[in-house]
Amino acid sequence: MPDTLKISMQGIVKRFGGVVALDSVDFELRPGEVMALVGDNGAGKSTLVKTLAGAHTPDEGVMKLNGERVRFTSPQDAWNRGVATIFQELALAGKMTIADNIFLGREVTRKVAGIAFLDRRAMRRRSKELLKELDVVVPDIHTWVEHLSGGQRQGVAIARALNIDADVIVMDEPTAALAVAEVRKVLEFIKTLRRQGKSVVLISHNVQDVFEVSDRITVLRRGRRIGLLETDKTTPEEVVGYITGAAETKSRRAVAQETPA
Amino acid sequence: MLAALALLCVVFASQSEFFLSERNFTTILRNSVDLAVICAGMTIVIILGGIDVSVGGIVAVSAVLIGRAYQLGMPDWVVVPVGLAAGALLGALNGAIISKSRVPPIVATLGTMYIYIAVLFLVIGGVWISGLPNTLSFLVLGDAFGVPSGVFVIGAVYVFSWLLLRWTPWGQRVVAIGCDEVAARLNGIRVDRTKIQAYALLGVFAGIAAILYVARLRNVEVNIGTNIALEAIAATILGGANIRGGVGSLIGTLMGVVFIKMTQNGLVLIGVSSLWETVVIGALLIIVLILDSLETRRTS
Repeated sequence: MPDTLKISMQGIVKRFGGVVALDSVDFELRPGEVMALVGDNGAGKSTLVKTLAGAHTPDEGVMKLNGERVRFTSPQDAWNRGVATIFQELALAGKMTIADNIFLGREVTRKVAGIAFLDRRAMRRRSKELLKELDVVVPDIHTWVEHLSGGQRQGVAIARALNIDADVIVMDEPTAALAVAEVRKVLEFIKTLRRQGKSVVLISHNVQDVFEVSDRITVLRRGRRIGLLETDKTTPEEVVGYITGAAETKSRRAVAQETPA
Repeated sequence: MLAALALLCVVFASQSEFFLSERNFTTILRNSVDLAVICAGMTIVIILGGIDVSVGGIVAVSAVLIGRAYQLGMPDWVVVPVGLAAGALLGALNGAIISKSRVPPIVATLGTMYIYIAVLFLVIGGVWISGLPNTLSFLVLGDAFGVPSGVFVIGAVYVFSWLLLRWTPWGQRVVAIGCDEVAARLNGIRVDRTKIQAYALLGVFAGIAAILYVARLRNVEVNIGTNIALEAIAATILGGANIRGGVGSLIGTLMGVVFIKMTQNGLVLIGVSSLWETVVIGALLIIVLILDSLETRRTS
């Protein structure tokens, strides 16, 4: 296949003690697509995401980034290779300004008498640009992040990923616990990212959101991938069927009936 | 805070005509220098989300090493680095215990406090070290350009701390850890290393305080450093630092130091027994913490 997958994971196994959280899971992500990752609680979504983010190392399986085999040793390692995961907690420092958060851990400095001092002006300018690109509206760039709304915080977290030129952005339940208007805003962010050619993995419980923004849908159930669907060619009912296992039983029954006696 | 300071001045001035004299203010300043220096470090540690109740012990051990070094006839250029290195080492030890063992800082430093104090007693054996040279006394007792030299010492320490805290990536890390340690870790900040550095910096400042103490009093007594932790924490919290981390102000802390030293001075001038000093400071600390806690409950 000529056009390389952005990310491909094959046969990923992750065990915690006796529990098999991921049972030989395959996952793929094309350049510039929004891939939704859905599944019931305990289906293995968050384990898969943490593996993708570098927070877990898989026990078995192969992971490729742009066709090259990779093994992330930490979330930082993954970020440095352009795979930015925005966890549900967002990892923002509440009592720091928007610009300080966007540049946290990778500050712009300017040498004065041999000492690297913060270049606050450059960081503010770049932060404003990033927020503008994403169309995040904030009262003031000096606002503490803890005074922002949930949607604005998502915006800041995404801006941080864009700042390091991440081309894969993994978002863990970005719309959970947001007001309706804020959900709209976050879905707009995702569409903007796709327009910019970024690949997005969207983990969500909300099938409606998934249908609004995704290109394809990966369904996990009990640590396995039981469905890889094109969003255009499926229905919310079918996806819910996969999530709850109804589709699985049905297909198994179909298979059983077709098997000649 | 400024209003509180002004109020304090009015109260004490009405009780003692000596309080508002220039000589008394110079005295207050001279008594404030060592505490002020320590408080710059304490502010950084509290912003980091930590606390250090062992600073008095660090001052004691540094001072006793300085005293012994002088007694062995060593010159200032040896004695001063010895004092600073001792402070840095003990501070770094605190930081290492806290970051590696995950013991809450208040408990870890309470433990090291007693260890450090024991070191003091083992070395000093209950006898004062006295008659030390006055070669560095000018740092506290002298004047430069018509201004008490303590002003320059405090100024240097605070400008350095402010630049470090507000204008370097290291300062950003400190604030981020104080806001949310897990988030800081997810951002690739080396939390343990930053903590050790912050506690070591406080240790260095405690070492400077020990040098200033010896320079001022020219002796080392057995109860050195007893109330320093209380005073330093109270001054920092009075100055607006949040005991839960993330927030703090060096200028505020400096005002807190002045407030505490003025209170002590005023109480002595109006004839209150010095036993009440710690009662007043301890009560102030608790009142501020209660107000802060009420404020947090109101806003959240």
